[in-house]
Amino acid sequence: MKIMRLKGFVLAMALLCLGFAEAQEVTGKVTDDQGPLPGASVIVKGTTNGTQTDFDGNYTLDNVGSDAILVISYIGYLTVEVTVSGQSTIDVVLSEDAQALDEVVVTGYGSQTRKEITSAVTVVDNEDFNQGTVNDAAQLLQGKVAGLSIYNKGGNPNEDAVIRLRGISSVGANSSPLIVIDGVVGASLNNVDPNDIESINVLKDGSAAAIYGTRGSSGVILVTTKKGTPGGVSVDYNGSLAVSSIANHVDVMSADEFATAGGVDLGSRNDWLDLVTINGTTKVNNVSISGGDGNTSYRFSGNFRDSQGILRESGFKQFNTRASASTRTFNDKLKIDFNISFTNRKSEFSYEEALRYALLYNPTAPVYGEDSPFQFDSATFGGYFETLGLFDSYNPLSIVNQNTNTGDRNEFTYSANFNYSILDNWELNALVSQQTNKLTNQDYYRTTSHFRGNATSPNRKGRARLYTENGDFKLFELYSTYKQTIGRIDFSVTGGYSWQQQNQYNYFLEMGDFPNNDIEYINALEWSQDLANAGFISANSNASPDDRIIAFFGRVSATFDNAIFFNASLRREGSTKFGENNRWANFPSVGLGADLNHYLELDNVDLLKVRVGYGVTGALPSANGLSRALYEPAGGNLSSNQRTDANPDLKWEEKAETNFGLEFKMDRLSTTLDIYSRDVSDFILEREVDVTIYPTGRRVENSGKLRSSGFEIAVNYDILRNEALRYNTGIIISRNKTVLKEYLTPQEMRGSLGAPGQNDTDMIRIKEGEEIGQIWGPVFSGEVVDGSQQFVDINGDGQLLTNQNNALDPEGDFKVLGKGTPDFELGWTNQLKYGNWDLNAFFRGAFGHSLINTYRAFYEPRVGSQGSYNFVNTKYADPSITNAKFSSLYVEKADFFKLDNLSLGYTFNLGENKYIKGIRVTASGQNLFTITDYTGSDPEPALQDRGSEPDNGGFTTTAANDPLIPGIDRRNNYFSARTYTLGLNINF
Amino acid sequence: MKNIYRILFFCSGLLLGSCTDLEENLIGEIDRPVSIDEPSTDFDGGGNGGNDALSVAYSKLRDGSAGSDNYWAIQSVSSDEMAVTQKGGDWYDGGIWIDMHRHTFGPSNGPINNTWTTQYGSIAACNDLLQTNLDANQTAQIKVLRAFFYYRLLDLYGRVKIVTAPGQDAPQSTRAQVFAFVENELLTALGVPSVSASMDLTNSPLTTEVNPYRVNQYAALGILAKLYLNAEVYTGTPRYTEAADAASYVIDNSGYILCGVGCSVPNPGKRPAVDSDPDNLEGYAAVFAPNNQNNPEIIWSIAYDGVTGGGMNFAHMTLHYSSQFTWNLVSQPWNGYSALEDFYNSYDDSDARKKANFIVGPQFDYNGSAILDYAATDGQLELNYTPEINELEPNASRKGGARLGKFSFRLFGRDNQDNDMPIVRLGELYLIRAEGRARAVNNWSLAEADVNTIRTRAGLGPIPGLNADSFLAERGREMFMEVTRRQDLIRFGKFDDAWWEKTNSDAHKALFPIPQPQIDASNGTLTQNPGY
Repeated sequence: MKIMRLKGFVLAMALLCLGFAEAQEVTGKVTDDQGPLPGASVIVKGTTNGTQTDFDGNYTLDNVGSDAILVISYIGYLTVEVTVSGQSTIDVVLSEDAQALDEVVVTGYGSQTRKEITSAVTVVDNEDFNQGTVNDAAQLLQGKVAGLSIYNKGGNPNEDAVIRLRGISSVGANSSPLIVIDGVVGASLNNVDPNDIESINVLKDGSAAAIYGTRGSSGVILVTTKKGTPGGVSVDYNGSLAVSSIANHVDVMSADEFATAGGVDLGSRNDWLDLVTINGTTKVNNVSISGGDGNTSYRFSGNFRDSQGILRESGFKQFNTRASASTRTFNDKLKIDFNISFTNRKSEFSYEEALRYALLYNPTAPVYGEDSPFQFDSATFGGYFETLGLFDSYNPLSIVNQNTNTGDRNEFTYSANFNYSILDNWELNALVSQQTNKLTNQDYYRTTSHFRGNATSPNRKGRARLYTENGDFKLFELYSTYKQTIGRIDFSVTGGYSWQQQNQYNYFLEMGDFPNNDIEYINALEWSQDLANAGFISANSNASPDDRIIAFFGRVSATFDNAIFFNASLRREGSTKFGENNRWANFPSVGLGADLNHYLELDNVDLLKVRVGYGVTGALPSANGLSRALYEPAGGNLSSNQRTDANPDLKWEEKAETNFGLEFKMDRLSTTLDIYSRDVSDFILEREVDVTIYPTGRRVENSGKLRSSGFEIAVNYDILRNEALRYNTGIIISRNKTVLKEYLTPQEMRGSLGAPGQNDTDMIRIKEGEEIGQIWGPVFSGEVVDGSQQFVDINGDGQLLTNQNNALDPEGDFKVLGKGTPDFELGWTNQLKYGNWDLNAFFRGAFGHSLINTYRAFYEPRVGSQGSYNFVNTKYADPSITNAKFSSLYVEKADFFKLDNLSLGYTFNLGENKYIKGIRVTASGQNLFTITDYTGSDPEPALQDRGSEPDNGGFTTTAANDPLIPGIDRRNNYFSARTYTLGLNINF
Repeated sequence: MKNIYRILFFCSGLLLGSCTDLEENLIGEIDRPVSIDEPSTDFDGGGNGGNDALSVAYSKLRDGSAGSDNYWAIQSVSSDEMAVTQKGGDWYDGGIWIDMHRHTFGPSNGPINNTWTTQYGSIAACNDLLQTNLDANQTAQIKVLRAFFYYRLLDLYGRVKIVTAPGQDAPQSTRAQVFAFVENELLTALGVPSVSASMDLTNSPLTTEVNPYRVNQYAALGILAKLYLNAEVYTGTPRYTEAADAASYVIDNSGYILCGVGCSVPNPGKRPAVDSDPDNLEGYAAVFAPNNQNNPEIIWSIAYDGVTGGGMNFAHMTLHYSSQFTWNLVSQPWNGYSALEDFYNSYDDSDARKKANFIVGPQFDYNGSAILDYAATDGQLELNYTPEINELEPNASRKGGARLGKFSFRLFGRDNQDNDMPIVRLGELYLIRAEGRARAVNNWSLAEADVNTIRTRAGLGPIPGLNADSFLAERGREMFMEVTRRQDLIRFGKFDDAWWEKTNSDAHKALFPIPQPQIDASNGTLTQNPGY
């Protein structure tokens, strides 16, 4: 009943909006040689009147003129045109188009057919997206695009994945690819629900990305959202329910093992990890309504996500809505597209630290103070027990239960695109877009919280923090494209202008000293007794300048003989972030491709294309104001300090990339090979400078040059193509190697292990001429004397120098212990179709990388005086080691191969159902098993390092992650989760 | 159709003016030095360093002068006063502290680099200030301050660059050249060509006004006295008479007095429930108390304050984690630094300075109950600081070593202490005069009078037959934690000696290496000290 009413309502609305049109109705069925084709497009030629076939391949189209021509198309099939001639039923059989070369692919500021492209571009359509519970649009692509690494270490639902294209593309700010959603450059991936995405194109090499200039250095991801199709109203529902649990964690001792191993026995027996984790459930509901008539189409969607993490009190509730409308007017010459989207996410971050403390907290400690083996002042700690007098040790359950850590984020985006055809071969395009985002984070520590709440303080208990951030991004782009054919050459020329401005401001406030434990957060700031004791209040405010990018760009494309393709582009771009003389830079590209089979005409070969491209892109520093010295009043108005040193000579970081590609297709087999080499020169990094000249001793500089090279192979093969059973398998392999070619100093150490006891222990060497990500340290000989690891005299000079001081000393006994980046990465897709059943299995792996297991480095040694922490207890644990020193013992190979995703789907045969066009159910599992030797929680490569600062309960700083030191598996990583999802899709 | 053109022209027209405008307007930053027009005077710890235009440079004194990982730490841990032991999984830190104790440090040691960058950062603040419109007195003060930072560089690294204008590079000077520069700057500020017992300072732009946070004539003389005392080490030429004369001038002509009997302040660390805590700190202990800002012995000091002038972290650096509950400190201490057993034992039990300088024995919380350390593995749960330390590494006792209590702690102390750190105080000037007079003619009996003045204040009688060794020991006891011990050991030829776990006898360790990151960043303008 409800469904009927909804459909009726929507229909009525649509009719009211668009009015009736008189004409005949045509129905029919679209099939291929194996059965019905759901989702095929049926459009009246020359109009936007059209529809899609339902799950059984049926369609109904109103308002069709009796002499109209129907265009029936489906991706991967040859398009068919049928003249209606008064027929009311038209059935069509489509045949597969092995080449699919005329498929239009969205590229920068325009589109080209697939074969015209001379750069490395990968298209992933929604049917190839990762299945199951996907809350982050980036995860749709994980493992699907050769060369695109997407890692979300651990399963924190509130954390975005790290995206890297072809290794380290940039040391500057934009180390993640540029996101372009429906033509809007610099869009936020957080403001598009994965359910609303139609397809994603990844521009991998410089020749494709150069048209985006400075922001394209790390590749470009073009997202196309789903749009309405003219003809009728279609209502689509997607729902899923998922359960997540811890897939893996670092092994520690049980309470009994701990007591036996000499740990301090406090009398209780607790599994802290069990106490702070839950089986998290995730509910996703998505409804979309789409349709259109005549010259107008529309689509609305609402997405509701309620996701729980495996850590207690963590998760988020998100509402996202998106509306798009498209219309043609002025004799179809002007096409206006309007998009609007809004996302609200209410997050509960909880505290990742609780997971770490759950591993390390004394397993014999009681939860509550009343169970303490000695007199304990429970009231001070809200009833919880605390191991006082121990560094970095907090009752994990108290952390998550007493305190709150929440966020509220709103993102709003609109875009309007006007496309006007001045002539048939000349069009003008104008795009206006604005995005705003507002973020409020609140964390609150009760007066009885030992963790950050100063519970032990006699006169200042509790802590409340407030952070708000407002961002605004404006975009205006104007470009024009002219096409002309001269003889056998098809030309296309594009020229344009781009104006982008980013603004951001934020406020931070921290107070403590609350009158009692019962007041709520919202009262805490007001009643903080810090207000009478000014020195404790911590406040901060920031506003960015108008951070602008302005660019002029142009492109020429030419196709000769429909077989030889040429593309060239130039973008001249300027940014406010540099000093006056270095603002502008040029970013050229050129590409050449040839369809060799056009001339060779090999038997059974559908495509044999070679292409080569060269392009230059750039990167900006993350901070503003680097060309000038900045100051701060310091020490309560006692003084004013110079905070940063100016670098008026700072200039663009540039990436020049050459890409060679080969595409081959025959019968059941298709392959693509890309080989590339690129130089990132003048890379931007904050580094130590001569303090005798620069008072702060640090400055952001153009610091050196990186060269990376690699290849990517994608192979796809139809193993079975029977009518009953279809089996397709695809494999992608990518390899990347990045070498530091030039650096301002010959070598240096970075990436300190941290407290307790291992500060000043840098573990990654950066050296000119060597690969990035060298883990560097002393080698454990296997022998333990008096509780200490014995190290190897690597240079055989008879003396053992293994203190950090000697790390780079030629006499020191240090060597490369592993490499933080993988040698190659693998994705293996399997699609099996049998009747109404379909099965997808996706395996993923990375090989050749190592990780520093920091949990082990700190807590595996049986440190006597730390007998109140639990001990990490992996297969490498040696009970005779009683003190902690970083060495090869804690560096592990982390090769892995995992079943990332397994999903089984069933599509119901509904016959001629009046209300429901299709039902599909799916069951999927994510992260089902992992084959690895790594003893940490997650063997995924650590592509960047966030530093050791937050490891002892400190607050995470906003400092940028360091891409030059991959390989450190830090202690706060959220443990990886295994997720089972049931999904339902209904189409009305 | 026309409408569309209108819209497009409107849109582009809006932008036309700013079509290629890339000026960066940094609204969220301060891109110039700011002056303090309305100084705040309400400071919690009373450590008000004065709020004039010079604060920007004076405040730099706080950096690294009483905290870990910087100037204070490398001066102190490389001497026989104290060590930072590796406690199993705690405080190994890449071996930097073990290297510092054993004199196996090298150019890549982090704290050695921090010290360098801190001094030059401070010098830059002075150079910036000297570009502004200062009067003669202010110029003289800042030049003395800058000379003081160069004196530290001279003492630590020897061969450094003398940079006297912002952003202007300079060649690496010899140690003798740096000495000459510092000496000349100080003499110029004092308005005399040389130091003598009967000098006339009327031409000095410096005043005689008493202000512990600003340089007056006595502060400048104090630095000069320290410089001359070590001149033989720095240049090979002894200047002991001038050292004694500079010190003597201050002792004889200024109004500063040794803080002895009757010189006391209320004890901010007094626990209400613990009767054995004294109500007042008197004499030597008062000189270093949290509320020592008006102490009559202090000529020039660094203004530390828990709120407005952070940087003194001794409580956190030395106390065991559980000792938080003795003073109910705001945050947990780090259990790092402790005194060496031999150094602790060099004090007589009746020496008032022993009690003032160290924390030993069983520890009690705010209410007077025993503090328990549940991580203890030796069965001794009660926290008890023992003067002996079992070993430097790897499994040093968590409770081993007397703790550094000289700059005493206040109840409810914050992360930064309020105690001011003396740079020049009268007590040291007595010792400089004593040593200067004795060394000038190689007769230690000439030092006895001044040494006894110091000993009397500590409640001790005279040392019979004072000699170089007993003088050095006395100086050590008096100046503990005041960053002179390394200099003293070098001057007395004992820095190469063995003590505790230190066996290295390399003479070149008396100078620290030029930090490797600085050599790397200098484009070849800095070369390494010999031996490294």
